[in-house]
Amino acid sequence: MLLTPILVIPLAAALACLLVPWRRLMEWINILAFAATLALGVQLLHEVLAHTVVTEWREFFYADALSAWMVLLISAVSLGTSLYAGRYFRRDLAAGVVTAGRIKEFFVLTPLFATGMLLVVLANNLGVMWFALEATALSSVLLVALYNRKTSLEAAWKYIMLGGLGLALALFGTVITYAAAVGQGGGGRLPSFNWSHLMTVAAQFDPGLMKLAFVFVLVGYGTKAGLAPMHTWLPDAHSEAPSPTSAMLSGVSLKVAIYALISFNILTAQCPGTGYSRNLLLGFGLFSMFLAAPFILVQSNLKRMLAYSSLEHVGLICAAVGLNTPITIFGALLHMGYHALTKPVLFFAAGNIHQTFHTLKFRVIGPGVVKVLPVTVLFMGLAAVAAMGLPPFGLFYSELTVLSGGFAAGRTFISILVLMALIAAFCGILKQLTRILPGARKVERPNDATAWDGVPAMGLLVGGLLVFSVWFPDPLLQLIHQAAGIIKGKS
Amino acid sequence: MNSPLSTEIGSQLIMLFAALMLVMQLLLVVQRMLLTNVRLFALQSLMLTAIAAVVAYYYNATHVYIVAVLTLVGKVIFLPWLLNRLVRRINIVQEIEPLFNAPTSMLICGGLTLLGYLVARPFTTLHKLGNNTLAIAITLLLTGFFLMINRRKAISQVLALLTIENGVMLAAVALTTYGMPLVVELGIFFDVMVAVMVLGILVYRIRESFASMDTSKLDQLKG
Repeated sequence: MLLTPILVIPLAAALACLLVPWRRLMEWINILAFAATLALGVQLLHEVLAHTVVTEWREFFYADALSAWMVLLISAVSLGTSLYAGRYFRRDLAAGVVTAGRIKEFFVLTPLFATGMLLVVLANNLGVMWFALEATALSSVLLVALYNRKTSLEAAWKYIMLGGLGLALALFGTVITYAAAVGQGGGGRLPSFNWSHLMTVAAQFDPGLMKLAFVFVLVGYGTKAGLAPMHTWLPDAHSEAPSPTSAMLSGVSLKVAIYALISFNILTAQCPGTGYSRNLLLGFGLFSMFLAAPFILVQSNLKRMLAYSSLEHVGLICAAVGLNTPITIFGALLHMGYHALTKPVLFFAAGNIHQTFHTLKFRVIGPGVVKVLPVTVLFMGLAAVAAMGLPPFGLFYSELTVLSGGFAAGRTFISILVLMALIAAFCGILKQLTRILPGARKVERPNDATAWDGVPAMGLLVGGLLVFSVWFPDPLLQLIHQAAGIIKGKS
Repeated sequence: MNSPLSTEIGSQLIMLFAALMLVMQLLLVVQRMLLTNVRLFALQSLMLTAIAAVVAYYYNATHVYIVAVLTLVGKVIFLPWLLNRLVRRINIVQEIEPLFNAPTSMLICGGLTLLGYLVARPFTTLHKLGNNTLAIAITLLLTGFFLMINRRKAISQVLALLTIENGVMLAAVALTTYGMPLVVELGIFFDVMVAVMVLGILVYRIRESFASMDTSKLDQLKG
């Protein structure tokens, strides 16, 4: 019994937070629950390395190397978020921006959000996977609307409408997949709709139906993953949500949707003559990267800029999976991990800046944030250097891996496109952050007592990033290799 | 398939109900009274219930009966009741002038129906009960999108989303012979219920902050 507790602990934490009246206790319940989930995730890693797959409840829950990797990312980011959220909301409450009821809402919905994501990666049944993704959308939309400002309601409305449409399309794709699977049995009853079962019979699927299904799934889950051109909800939701939620959305929620997309990609690739699924992934990925770069450059809002940077990273992951060589897939998985450690730190720092300056507009925050919030800026600078893809941070290695894999496979043109988009995004982030972080302040501002806010959370994630950038433990490396093998398939 | 009535009649019945679903959809597109829209959605869901019942009868599949009952209770009774209450609470009678007027909307929907049949054409040769419903399901999806773009009141957009959901469920019941596995159907059912409640909360909050339910006023976030 390992998968069940991973799902039950955050769920129980959500219920417990619903019942307890003390905010301090809610914070600790969240922190402890996610710490426990992370510990179980590490144990799952060892189990998966020993037995290849772990299943429970007659294969209802199913974990292979890929899901174990995702469990680690989800629980690490959730832990960081819950560490940060306590102080963040206490400050918001003192400033009168939120009510106590809304804070309770946060501590109840965040574990539910995490449970949904964990269920997505642990469910074997493709229908249950859809159900779990919808659950993540529903729990996170109320988090996006938490501040109840006009703009946050607008963002939440766009998010739920586009997300709902996307998920309806994904459900349609799932239904057609089921029909394609039934078709090969001569209209009989399908023994199970489990991914592991479908993989064994995927070679006999109706390729035409499977192609149609993948298009719907790509547009559907692609909306949830924020792939361009279905990404329009993403910058709104990320900028209007409370910073801890932005961190969860950007750090893992996008990647969980990509996980769903990858599962269908693996399945479709098993069908004869449907190698086109990865070309579609490649196309959407490249388009997202190219769309993100100019938008990063012209943003006037810090969190919107970070959201577009996430779009670029998601695009890279998709494009790398679409290139479909062992090296690029390995790079994509590595990139998911490093990005999950980097982006939340940037959002936490943006949250501190927001609370100090009461705005996210670059123009008002103005140069010289380092004079006001030295510690925050230190962490933000480190994470930003990482997000731009500079050494010694891991994102440099993962981007280099993807590029070298692309060149080695002879996809020179595409690799050059990827490189160009990366450089453009690099320039964008560099230009924007140098506008606000260094320099002398135009308006003097007292250095308030909040300098150390959010340090545990940011320190944990940046520390993890630094450690894993220079020293990658052997079990983790094996896990990613196994996961890359699963995505690559036999084709 | 050992039922007294021939499969031919079953197939015809499913086609009839599916066509009626499409008719309801087209009426929704041109009707601007919100309460009537809710009733039309309830009727459309009733047709879906009937299709599920026919499928369950012909294949003698117990769990499709459960799906039929859930659809009846959830989408024909509970959701319309909830939406009705919401419409009365926010005190708005009718949709403002949509983007496209009624005749243009009808023409566009006709085009979308043709498109739906074109997309589904290669797949209509599967020898199964109600194999032509894929075209109608795709059409419901497409016209649902159109409905969502065309309307500005938040609650009309919720209805559009629900009709899209109906289209997907039509495909799930009719296209896959026995329907999806019960656990999936149950999951979808509860998700839709929770989704409408969450949307209701948001609609209410939007109404309170903006003193309006017009989503074209949600235009501050750009770029």
